[in-house]
Amino acid sequence: MTTVSDLGTPPPPPHPAPSGPAVAPPDHRGRWIPTGTMITTRMMELRKRRGLMIALILVTVGIPTVFLVIRLLMHAFAPKTYGPAGGYQIYTALVSGVLYVFGFIVAATLGATAGSSDLTEGMFRHLVVTGRSRLALYLARIPAGLAIVVPLVAVGFTIVCAVCVFAAPTRLEFNGVNVPVGVSRAGLESWAADHADEVICNFGVRLGPSTPDVSTLNAVLNSVPCGNGPPGSPVNVTQGPGPQGQPQVSQAQITEAARLIAASNYSDYARQFLYPSDTLMIKSGLWLELEATIGLIVGLGLGSLLGQRTVAVILMIVLEIILTPILSRARIPHLSNLQRAVVGLATAHLAPGGLPVLGGGGGGPGGNGGNAALLPESTTVAVCVIVAWLVGWTVLGAWRMMTRDA
Amino acid sequence: MTTTTVPSTADTHAPPGPWAVETHGLTKRFGDNVAVNDVELLVPRGCAFGYLGPNGAGKTTLIRVLLGLTHADAGTMSLLGHRVPRHRDAALARVGAIVDEPRFHGHLTGRQNLKILAAAREPAARGRIGPALERVGIAHRADDKVAKYSMGMRQRLGVAACLLGDPQLLILDEPMNGLDPAGMREMRDMILSLVAEGRTVVLSSHLLDEVERTCDAVAIVDRGKVIRQGPISQLLAGASLEVQVECSEPGRAATVLGATSLGAGVAVGPEGLGVTLPAGTGRDVVAEINRVLVTGGIAVYRLQVLQASLESWFLQVTSRLGEAP
Repeated sequence: MTTVSDLGTPPPPPHPAPSGPAVAPPDHRGRWIPTGTMITTRMMELRKRRGLMIALILVTVGIPTVFLVIRLLMHAFAPKTYGPAGGYQIYTALVSGVLYVFGFIVAATLGATAGSSDLTEGMFRHLVVTGRSRLALYLARIPAGLAIVVPLVAVGFTIVCAVCVFAAPTRLEFNGVNVPVGVSRAGLESWAADHADEVICNFGVRLGPSTPDVSTLNAVLNSVPCGNGPPGSPVNVTQGPGPQGQPQVSQAQITEAARLIAASNYSDYARQFLYPSDTLMIKSGLWLELEATIGLIVGLGLGSLLGQRTVAVILMIVLEIILTPILSRARIPHLSNLQRAVVGLATAHLAPGGLPVLGGGGGGPGGNGGNAALLPESTTVAVCVIVAWLVGWTVLGAWRMMTRDA
Repeated sequence: MTTTTVPSTADTHAPPGPWAVETHGLTKRFGDNVAVNDVELLVPRGCAFGYLGPNGAGKTTLIRVLLGLTHADAGTMSLLGHRVPRHRDAALARVGAIVDEPRFHGHLTGRQNLKILAAAREPAARGRIGPALERVGIAHRADDKVAKYSMGMRQRLGVAACLLGDPQLLILDEPMNGLDPAGMREMRDMILSLVAEGRTVVLSSHLLDEVERTCDAVAIVDRGKVIRQGPISQLLAGASLEVQVECSEPGRAATVLGATSLGAGVAVGPEGLGVTLPAGTGRDVVAEINRVLVTGGIAVYRLQVLQASLESWFLQVTSRLGEAP
């Protein structure tokens, strides 16, 4: 039984008690919208983590920079052995193989740190006691984290773009032949007519049912000497060889055959560039920032949910490196819709045309081969999946923060 | 610590009312364990209030419930006249608190940690960082990383964090922990100065001597229940009276006194004869003890009434509880 003495009237305080007006001044700390100061101080808290920042910079900026510097040096010292440091193919490899994957992991690490550091370091309690809305405390971490990770990814990406553009090859090599850059189909055919032997000996020949006069073409292929081998030997003829004993072919027939072969290769040629276009770079940059944003927000939610960073980061790495590639390519009966809910698959489907996706393992450079290897998914579904992940993890993380005992 | 004063608005923003903290039937359970058990607590405004109890009594849990760090299972409560948790933001706007050991981001300086906390408060809080650091005496180390702070410095930083909100109510959980004697004295002086400014300070501690020196009123909590509360002077008035007797024959004196109807508890110790009289006993009983002993042929060299202390009273109260079935 509780014994309370003198509950009816308070004891006279030894000092005059404050007595003020009943109306408090407006105080919006209960609102869910974080203030700018909350965001900047949260950003400062993250930015001052020297070890984390060094690791993030090394991964996001350091890896592509070191790779490109080595290529620049190798090309400078042995230009005949080592090709130019930049170029279109290096660009696609670095963007889809390095920045895409590591940008996500870096952002997830930062997010998981932001989501768990107050809790593990004892600041959460101080913050809650301020009376500030816990939701606002959570939401302040999103712009603060983005303010760090977006520029980081942008710096790494800018370095890649700069090197790939300014240190790009000066000549375009297609099937081992130096070809002019960016010409039309007619232009390529015209160029092929002037370099008939090179085209016939090195370009692949794709004959179709509509190919006129296949027998003449085969005669040409068999008659043109290519290096030390038999006539036409390097050429990959995808339709049956012509009859033996072809008559001697004329120069006009050879020229026409070269035009035909060039025309059949034009679609592949049209995806070859010396360096990435402005449009591709802009789209790639936005795509990388989208991926980083997803990584940050998912990492933040997971870090807040788990209350610690290490496990959250490990789970994010497993998701990005192991689960996403598997679930994006495997055809698992009855689970295809579940696979489509993987955010990595959704972002892969939003990749700009021309980028191999998911670690570069999906397709050849310059094409959409990566997407072709992925589980099909419409753009609408991909966008919905991404939005669902962003909203879902934000709700989860905020809910945990709002209900957690401090 | 210096005497720098944090700009005060402590007397302007709260609804009127006699109580800084008011709880009714407050209960918090962890499974089968009732950490806070039907607590009725009334803390007057403008005083230093001690919240005392042995380890595990539920002191910190009650504070956490009051501050909204964890939810209550039953009961009502209000801080500075604001019902919580409904008006928690308004209530906590003028509350500063240290709960458990104060911890901060170790990779940031003390000042940077306070900036983060000030950002979560009203804009004016940023202007209080410097004065708060001055007041708690760590301004000279404010730009060092907290990882390099001693426990005592972190305590001071915790108090500085409390002052950012210009609080009308400060709730300090074991604020003397980690402080050296000089630091404890400085902390005591600071608490008294805060009270002198019209603020209310609730002090949770098991350092009874410090509480007695600092606080005007106390509540005793044990096993989650508040068992006594009120001004210290009133509570001590209800304590039993201790009389120390130095005499020629302590053993016989004990027998003689035991045979009287004074209702005294008598014990012979190394310092002589100790006589415990029931609460409310008048001073004339002391004279009666002397008369009985002298009449019995025992020479009385010294007879001293011991001032009841908070510690002795606390031990009496808690020992009675321990004896209860």
